[in-house]
Amino acid sequence: MAEHQAILKADGLSKRYEDGVLALDRLNLEVQPGEIYCLLGANGAGKTTTINLFLGFIPPTSGSCFINGIDVSKDPLEAKKYVSFVSENVMLYGNFTARQNLDFFARLGGKTALTKDDYYRAMRRVSLQEKAFDQRVKNFSKGMRQKLGIAIAIVKDAPAVLLDEPTSGLDPKAAAEFLDIMAELRTEGKAVLMSTHDIFRAKEIGDRVGIMREGRLVMERTRDELHNEDLNRLYIDYMESAGQPASA
Amino acid sequence: MWRTIVKKELLETIFSYRFPLFAVICLLLVPLSMAVNQAAYAKRVRDYSDQVRLADEAAAAIKIQDIMAGTVAIRGFRRPAPLSVFTQGFESTLPRYYEFTQDGFKPGESATDDETILSVQGKVDFVFLVQMVISLIAMLFASDMVSGEKESGTLRAMLANSLPRDTLLSGKIGGGFLALWVPFLLAFLFGAVVLMFGAFPLAGGDTAVRVLIVLLATSLFILTYFTIGIAVSTSTSKARTSLVAILIVWAAFQLIVPRLGDMIARLAHPVRTETQVSLQKSLLVRSLDAETAKELGRQYDLIFKGAPEGAADNENSPERKKWDPIRDDIQNRARETKSQQLSAIDETYLQERRRQLDLAVNLSLVSPSAAFARFIADVCGTGELERAKYVEAVRSHQMALDNELFSKVKRTLMMHEGGGMSMSFSAQPVDASKLPRFTITPATVAETLKANARSLISLLVWLIAPFAFAYAKFVKYDVR
Ligand SMILES: Nc1ncnc2c1ncn2[C@@H]1O[C@H](COP(=O)(O)OP(=O)(O)OP(=O)(O)O)[C@@H](O)[C@H]1O
Ligand SMILES: [Mg+2]
Repeated sequence: MAEHQAILKADGLSKRYEDGVLALDRLNLEVQPGEIYCLLGANGAGKTTTINLFLGFIPPTSGSCFINGIDVSKDPLEAKKYVSFVSENVMLYGNFTARQNLDFFARLGGKTALTKDDYYRAMRRVSLQEKAFDQRVKNFSKGMRQKLGIAIAIVKDAPAVLLDEPTSGLDPKAAAEFLDIMAELRTEGKAVLMSTHDIFRAKEIGDRVGIMREGRLVMERTRDELHNEDLNRLYIDYMESAGQPASA
Repeated sequence: MWRTIVKKELLETIFSYRFPLFAVICLLLVPLSMAVNQAAYAKRVRDYSDQVRLADEAAAAIKIQDIMAGTVAIRGFRRPAPLSVFTQGFESTLPRYYEFTQDGFKPGESATDDETILSVQGKVDFVFLVQMVISLIAMLFASDMVSGEKESGTLRAMLANSLPRDTLLSGKIGGGFLALWVPFLLAFLFGAVVLMFGAFPLAGGDTAVRVLIVLLATSLFILTYFTIGIAVSTSTSKARTSLVAILIVWAAFQLIVPRLGDMIARLAHPVRTETQVSLQKSLLVRSLDAETAKELGRQYDLIFKGAPEGAADNENSPERKKWDPIRDDIQNRARETKSQQLSAIDETYLQERRRQLDLAVNLSLVSPSAAFARFIADVCGTGELERAKYVEAVRSHQMALDNELFSKVKRTLMMHEGGGMSMSFSAQPVDASKLPRFTITPATVAETLKANARSLISLLVWLIAPFAFAYAKFVKYDVR
């Protein structure tokens, strides 16, 4: 059954904010295990809103979203056991070392029996430099924070991973390293949902790419479908038809 | 999960720059204030002992003539309260002693007489530190515990996990409070050691129990302020806003509400000073005495008009047989009237005071700080309760002295129609060494708790309400 296979699923998901803005309009979306889904869209298209709905930070106006088959608005605590989240600006406790941060979030993620070596392994895997492992993260660069944020997600080892613009502000090398890690997660069978503005990397890494506009998913292509298409062109075409009613 | 949060909050607080500041303030100021107040207490005790000795010597040397002349004043001294090392309260504003005479009592000077203006205005004691310094720091510690984490985004990161919000909130309160409480406890214990080095009677009587109550109540008080801080933090979405809101709340609770309560009570129920009351009493005594003297003179003149020479001195003369019971009757009635009217004045005064105090207490319940200060002062024997006990002791001592001493001397003063005055005395022997000693029965711990029921309830409400408020707010808190 398809709906049992999808780890992340949005079903007619809509969100109208208190001020009347319809930020998300009947979104349908599925991410299977071992699949990377890239969500593209201009500023204000509704990408962050989607992720916030999956995390139960805001209630949907209508429709529902599921993680591992669990309705997030019905049982948010159970649902969140199966998801890791990496935000745009990974926020950490500045006065804690990298390992202390990792340890704290791992415990919140339900991993209470990890050792120092487990933490070191995770930090090596995201290629954070060794000397930073036991340094306070106060002065970490954005890239280092991002790596640690991903290490936290790796350590939690949840079947679903949500990332909100994870590559924004990363230097090319760090971004390339990031993509390698995403590929590894895919191999491990994780369902990855990632919002991004980076069309080229989306094409490179995404198994599926969706374009959002004004709260709607206006285009969805699989990797194979995209193979012979110019995603950049597509994106601009869809953005330019903003004035007309979008056809999905 | 809860323990993970507690540990993280604890560490985060300890790593913050505020923590060492707080620890130093606690460890320095708390023991210092205790040491300083202990020295002041020791001095008061020395003064007390000296004065009691002098007064005892004077009492032993009382001669009946002195009483007849009305020049004797017996003094009853109040023993300084040892636990004033924690809170000064009324310690130095209460009269050090009362003076008892045939015509009633009046307060002596207070210990403030030998203090400077600065020390009277700004007494730094343990309770002051807790109310003014530690409470503020507790609130500041709490101020950004929720809004700060929202601002920095870590709240989102935490709540992206399967973490119930109530667990997170209670973990935050638990860990944050622990980080405050441990240095405070160390400071308190350190202070207790300092006191014991100063030969403070920490183990005597129920002192230990009272000190434990002070410790417990203070700990809960700090928790209250910490939780109020958290509640403010959950009502704001920016750490800066929290800070401003907290300063306003703190100032209202610490400085404005308690004082305003007292001021309103004073305006609503003005009370005379004790000196005014003494004056009123002595005026009353004087006018009653004059009336009695006139009455006696009138009756005397009536009976002895035209009586043979020497009739007044002859106990068996018919005039004397008639006069003696009339005189006794007048004097007895006069004594009764006097004591009735005097105690009516005392009673009215006490009532006035009670009414004012009642209103002040009720108004100040709006602030946990005022309730706390009242309670601790009562536990330490420097509060309203001690004042009431003092007055109670003074009144019963006056009665005892009336019975044992002053009634032994009968003074008959007569004012005659023509304006002439005459005075006669009769006296029974007095054993000065058997005179009752002046003692104040201190309020027991149970009595203290009972008398402070309202304050305790207020403190309890103030402990629970911010918890409930913070919880309600945090469940719906927008973490984005
Ligand atoms: N709390 C809010 N209240 C009202 N409107 C909001 C709120 N948050 C977002 N919006 C609106 O919802 C729409 C979608 O916003 P969202 O943040 O989801 O976009 P996004 O795709 O993540 O954009 P970006 O690429 O800039 O991150 C926008 O029009 C935004 O103004
Ligand atoms: Mg966004």
